[in-house]
Amino acid sequence: MNLGTRKILDRSFTALGIGSIVIMGMTLLIVLVPIVGKGVGAAFFKGTIEHRKMLFNEFGRGDKAKLNEEIIRADSYRRKAFQMLAGFEAELGRMDPDKQLEYRERYDQVRRSLRPLLGPLPGDEPPALTRFQYGQARWDKAEEKLHDFLYETRWDYSNPNAMAKEYFVTRAAGFEGTSLVRLFPYVEEHLDRMLLPEFTFYWGFITDRSVDAHIFGGIWPEIQGTFFLAVGAMLFAFPLGVIAAVYFTEYAKEGFLTSILRSANSTLAGVPSIVFGLFGLAFFINTLKVSESKSVLAGSLTLAIMILPTIIRAAEEAILAVPRTYREASLSLGSTKWNTIVTVILPAALPGILTGGVISLGRAAGETAPIIFTAAVSVGSAIGLADVFSSPTPALSWNIYNLASEHEAASEIRHVQYGMVLALVSIVLLLNLSAIILRARISKKLKG
Amino acid sequence: MGKDASLKQERSSAFVVSAHKRKVQKTVRTAGEFLLLLLASCVAIIVLFIFYFVARDAIPFFELRGFREFFTSSEWYPADDPGQFGALAIMYGSLMVTAGSALIAVPMGVSAAICLSDVLPFSVRQYVKPVIEMLAAIPSVAFGFFALVIFAPLLQNQGGPILMWTWWIVVSPFLLLAAIVLSELLTASVEDRTRRRVLHRVLLIVFSLIALIALFVIGRLLQGLQILTGTNALNVSIILSFMALPTIVSVSEDALQAVGRELREGSYALGATRAETIVKTVLPAASSGILAAVILGIMRALGETMVVWMASGNSSHIPEPWFNYLESVRTLTATIAGDMGEADQVTGSARFHVLFAMGLLLLVVSFVSNLVSERIVVRQRKILSGE
Repeated sequence: MNLGTRKILDRSFTALGIGSIVIMGMTLLIVLVPIVGKGVGAAFFKGTIEHRKMLFNEFGRGDKAKLNEEIIRADSYRRKAFQMLAGFEAELGRMDPDKQLEYRERYDQVRRSLRPLLGPLPGDEPPALTRFQYGQARWDKAEEKLHDFLYETRWDYSNPNAMAKEYFVTRAAGFEGTSLVRLFPYVEEHLDRMLLPEFTFYWGFITDRSVDAHIFGGIWPEIQGTFFLAVGAMLFAFPLGVIAAVYFTEYAKEGFLTSILRSANSTLAGVPSIVFGLFGLAFFINTLKVSESKSVLAGSLTLAIMILPTIIRAAEEAILAVPRTYREASLSLGSTKWNTIVTVILPAALPGILTGGVISLGRAAGETAPIIFTAAVSVGSAIGLADVFSSPTPALSWNIYNLASEHEAASEIRHVQYGMVLALVSIVLLLNLSAIILRARISKKLKG
Repeated sequence: MGKDASLKQERSSAFVVSAHKRKVQKTVRTAGEFLLLLLASCVAIIVLFIFYFVARDAIPFFELRGFREFFTSSEWYPADDPGQFGALAIMYGSLMVTAGSALIAVPMGVSAAICLSDVLPFSVRQYVKPVIEMLAAIPSVAFGFFALVIFAPLLQNQGGPILMWTWWIVVSPFLLLAAIVLSELLTASVEDRTRRRVLHRVLLIVFSLIALIALFVIGRLLQGLQILTGTNALNVSIILSFMALPTIVSVSEDALQAVGRELREGSYALGATRAETIVKTVLPAASSGILAAVILGIMRALGETMVVWMASGNSSHIPEPWFNYLESVRTLTATIAGDMGEADQVTGSARFHVLFAMGLLLLVVSFVSNLVSERIVVRQRKILSGE
């Protein structure tokens, strides 16, 4: 090949590598940007009067006098809409039976699509579930619901070779010639006065319990559960891991036993996380019976086993990075080996060991598979510290899965899911970031 | 004289420990070391326990149902009475998403590792490493959420155009390069210089046109694809590949760094370009380490639960045709996670134990591949250190 072609190949080879790295960075951005963007929306949003009503009734927060004044103001607009409904119902009674039947069905649909906006309508039974007791709490969702109210969704199956296409028909068209036609433009025009949206910073998203399976309220039980599980795992794994690392670096003689132990360590690091869950179920719960069924303790123990190899490796590296001169200076002063380890080597290696610990803490907080069978429940309130030995807990990682794929109204509460993902990702990334900074400082210090 | 003796005595008590005390110290030290060994061997004990307890609950399944159905049938109806426990389709699903993610992650990961170790200057590398670490740190459930809520609808609605653009962007540079190299190689034997140049030009244009037509035709084909569901094997493979990337990059970078400067400099001295040095000298020397990295990355993808559970569609069948990545699949890990909720009420049934059988299968595969990759790394280290 001539030199020109070889140079082109060389350049493209470099471009391939740089391209891969750029794609990795872009992936990080593509994953994180929507999570951060929409996750922030869980706490910062335009809240309607229904949100403030819910806050006052469920958590006792908010100014009662102001709220009452707002309710009166909103009701003055709502009343007109309700009057239109009542007027049409009277009109419906006067129609001939088959026409009545046709309109009745459509009218029920109208009522059904109005309830998510304004809450229970006059003439409804008081609903049992909290989610039906209030109208739309968020203005962005209210606008979507308004669309559902104004338009009916239909599917076009005319082309048998392609997937059905969605199209919209105005509901008003179905009531041509009746008094109800006026309701649609009225609601469309006055929705903001019926709901009184205003910019809200809902800090309670972090600190509140959830109301009616996360339809309203916050994610405190999940945050607390994640905290308990991760810290519990560290309590078991950290001391054990550091001691094992001390043994491996200071005492172990190269030989059969040591190589077996090292192999075991890397095997443990490679076990799929779901297998840890199975083991936790079979060993901690079914055999040791540390608790009746799922509990924070069983979950923490399972997570501890999972993060143990990471801690051991990080601690080993940190101990090996301590300069020989420290050790020799200490030994030359007549200190024993154990004394040297405790008073000289471990303190010098501590930042490195902590770095590994912090990363493991993040891993324990983010992992889902090991706690599915051992600790996590979907719905639950925050548990006290005394309950960790006996009761399971909701946790961020598990509830993200649960809300996104098993919740009966998963698409209604996307904002809560995003908020939870953001909470989890920021906990884990902040831990990792602090580890990265810690490590940069250590390497600077070691360089002098 | 007496003064001298007492002084000697004093000195000895200060520096020399009595025999009894020394004995006690020695026992304490041995006992302490033994205790340390005991604590350190916890890891090995845990590994044994994991094998024992997973196997203990897996064996009843094989006693109840035998081996044949599990490994050869793809009828998975555990809830029926009597249940059918053919896990072939599920194993195939695991294999499929793992292979798919490896296809994406291995070339990308290895080229990124090469770039990190041989191309980028240290100052840039410092900023790339945290990015890789962050990618590795993002919890799997967050990736799963991304795959399910953002990526799956996108793939379902815009899948055709996305595939077409990816095809164009990824493949067109390679085809262009292939055209350049091919036309060069084919004309190399022509003696006459002007004739060679003309022939070279003509061939280059012809090959480029062929490449363009191939790009266009296959691009149109991809654009016209109907993607029935966004939660399919392709979606999961892409997401899993990004989860496996950090492992592949960091382990193979270590392997590349372990190849000494001498080899590289020898190759440069012979007039090789950087690409030739890397491909012909550094990569062969680091090949076993990179193989270990690939094995570790693949294991990460195979053992991943949350992404596949949320975004693979969880339908237990072998896609039609077998390489159709646009169909939903079901994997071992997702089956374990998903079916345990229904099965743990009836401990002792085949339905409960079959999940442990799957866990045992995963455990054995991960154990073996770990051993293999470890052997490979040890061997490479020995070869490179010249023993």
